Amino acid sequence: MAGIWIFAESREQTLELISAGTSLARQLDGAAVVTFATSRQLAEEYISCGAGEVLVLPPLAGGQPLEAYVPAIIEAVRGGDPDIFLISATQRGREIAARVAAALDTGLCSGCTALKLDKEKKQLIMERMLYGGAAVQTVVCSGRPQMATIPPRTFEPAAPQEGRQGKITELAGVQPSPVKVVGRAPKAAEAVDITEAKVVVCAGRGFEKKEDLNLAQELAQVTGGAVGCTRPVAEELRWLPEDLYIGISGKKVKPGLYIGLGVAGQIQHVTGMRDSKVVLAVNRDENAPIFDAADYGIVGDLYDVVPKLIKELRIALNK
Amino acid sequence: MLKIIACFKWVIDEQDIRVDQKSRELIMERVGYKISDYDRNAIEEAVRQQEAHGGSVVAVTVGPPGARQSLKDALSRGPERAWFISDPSFAALEPSQTAAILAEAIKTKGEFDLIICGEGSSDLYAQQVGPALAQRLGIPCATYVNKVTLEPGEKKLTAERKLDDGIETVSIQLPALITVLPDINTPRIPSLKQVLGAAKKPVEEIKKSDLGQDFQPRLETISILGATMERRRLKYSAEAADIKAVVDALLKEGVIA
Ligand SMILES: Cc1cc2nc3c(=O)[nH]c(=O)nc-3n(C[C@H](O)[C@H](O)[C@H](O)COP(=O)(O)OP(=O)(O)OC[C@H]3O[C@@H](n4cnc5c(N)ncnc54)[C@H](O)[C@@H]3O)c2cc1C
Repeated sequence: MAGIWIFAESREQTLELISAGTSLARQLDGAAVVTFATSRQLAEEYISCGAGEVLVLPPLAGGQPLEAYVPAIIEAVRGGDPDIFLISATQRGREIAARVAAALDTGLCSGCTALKLDKEKKQLIMERMLYGGAAVQTVVCSGRPQMATIPPRTFEPAAPQEGRQGKITELAGVQPSPVKVVGRAPKAAEAVDITEAKVVVCAGRGFEKKEDLNLAQELAQVTGGAVGCTRPVAEELRWLPEDLYIGISGKKVKPGLYIGLGVAGQIQHVTGMRDSKVVLAVNRDENAPIFDAADYGIVGDLYDVVPKLIKELRIALNK
Repeated sequence: MLKIIACFKWVIDEQDIRVDQKSRELIMERVGYKISDYDRNAIEEAVRQQEAHGGSVVAVTVGPPGARQSLKDALSRGPERAWFISDPSFAALEPSQTAAILAEAIKTKGEFDLIICGEGSSDLYAQQVGPALAQRLGIPCATYVNKVTLEPGEKKLTAERKLDDGIETVSIQLPALITVLPDINTPRIPSLKQVLGAAKKPVEEIKKSDLGQDFQPRLETISILGATMERRRLKYSAEAADIKAVVDALLKEGVIA
């Protein structure tokens, strides 16, 4: 079967990887794109969107985690011998990929942020972050298949095309996993999605208490933005939901304007906001690393600066 | 008796890395080393479980001879002994090698009930070693664990995994492996007495020749370049006139309206 194989936790992520896979397939003289699916209905959609073959995994029994598919995936990959295997870098996807790569004794590029193909060597050239985002590592895989996990939203999802045909193969039953799910508590969806905001006001640990975040809220209101935070504000202090922290292990944002208030600017945080168009930072320590990542830096106490900033913005924007 | 293995990595402190803005080369002079952040949580969790249920904790690391300095730090955090799996060729291992080496070493040492790894290392953050090690040892694993309850009598554990879409609670028979998140605990700060005591704890060295394999990489690094950012780096004071200048500049940039 060879070709480019794809596994992702959700429909949306599968479509994103199909679009990455089909563009690689074109460069590999029309290699097959083979996708896993959890239902026949999805399988048909994946074919209409560019997959040449879909391997349908049987439904999992109740109390089984998605990772229970690992042995079935390993078996299918052994039999099909793909050139390339792309997996969505969700948390479950990362575990699945690591275990598949270990079982097949091949290399895996985790959290691959860019990939291109060396057509002559048929080799994937993959990029990923290193040292909390301070560096970019370029790697190639010497094992087979060449494997990568790719963060969601790295590629546009593939769109359906008229009249595409493909093959659907049903895979045999899945052995029950020794890991039993005994409870699930879905996360309440947050009202704000900071990845969509045009302006992000980021609250760092420079704030003294939770109530003071009103200052950040007010600044966000005036600028038409949303409030985000650094990891300690969410994970240690628990002042804001975890969905709102920005960084390598949190959300990546690319607003027109990022305003950091009392944010130190450690590399793990900066990695999540480095694609912002314009960066404004307020910090009382003139040597704070955030000033190296900022276009406009105001050296001062945020409790003094932010009210002045709000006042000045209200005048300028007639609000 | 419960036997726990806590895996940790000795890594460059990324805060010490400087980037040459022109060549994008990483400047590694004067870098310090540390126990990878998440692994501090792994060691802490192992020690807490041992304190609650009895048994033993061994801290394990794979690295070049220079990583020996990590052992005192690791042992001062509570484990009663360490395994140091070392070879000069273990300097820049990629995750598949680390997992393979750990798996071989653990197999030669024999029994265990629970292996705890950090979610990922703070240098590579590939998040592979834990699950790849479990796969190589043929034991079940739970990744991204935020809370773990052991029932040594029944030889099982219950773990809460914190995932993008919510909390998933799983039950697993021992022996098993978990990878832990930073908010599972707050690592203790070793006291002077613990630091001094650590020097007396046994360290067992495991050499590459003891493992009888070559451990070739499956991933090859072509280049490592510093991430750079084009920013204007203009600095202003908190004076009203300066603040007005910043607001004017933002209006001009067209990023607020
Ligand atoms: C593996 C790993 C992954 C991580 N992932 C992330 C991540 O995804 N996101 C993230 O954010 N962090 C992450 N971190 C943590 C990161 O390294 C920093 O510790 C964190 O970003 C610091 O948050 P902070 O800037 O809010 O706090 P601090 O470092 O405490 O900085 C506070 C800043 O506020 C300034 N300040 C204090 N009071 C005032 C005042 N009154 N007015 C103005 N300024 C003031 C101080 O000068 C200081 O610079 C990670 C760390 C590791 C090791």
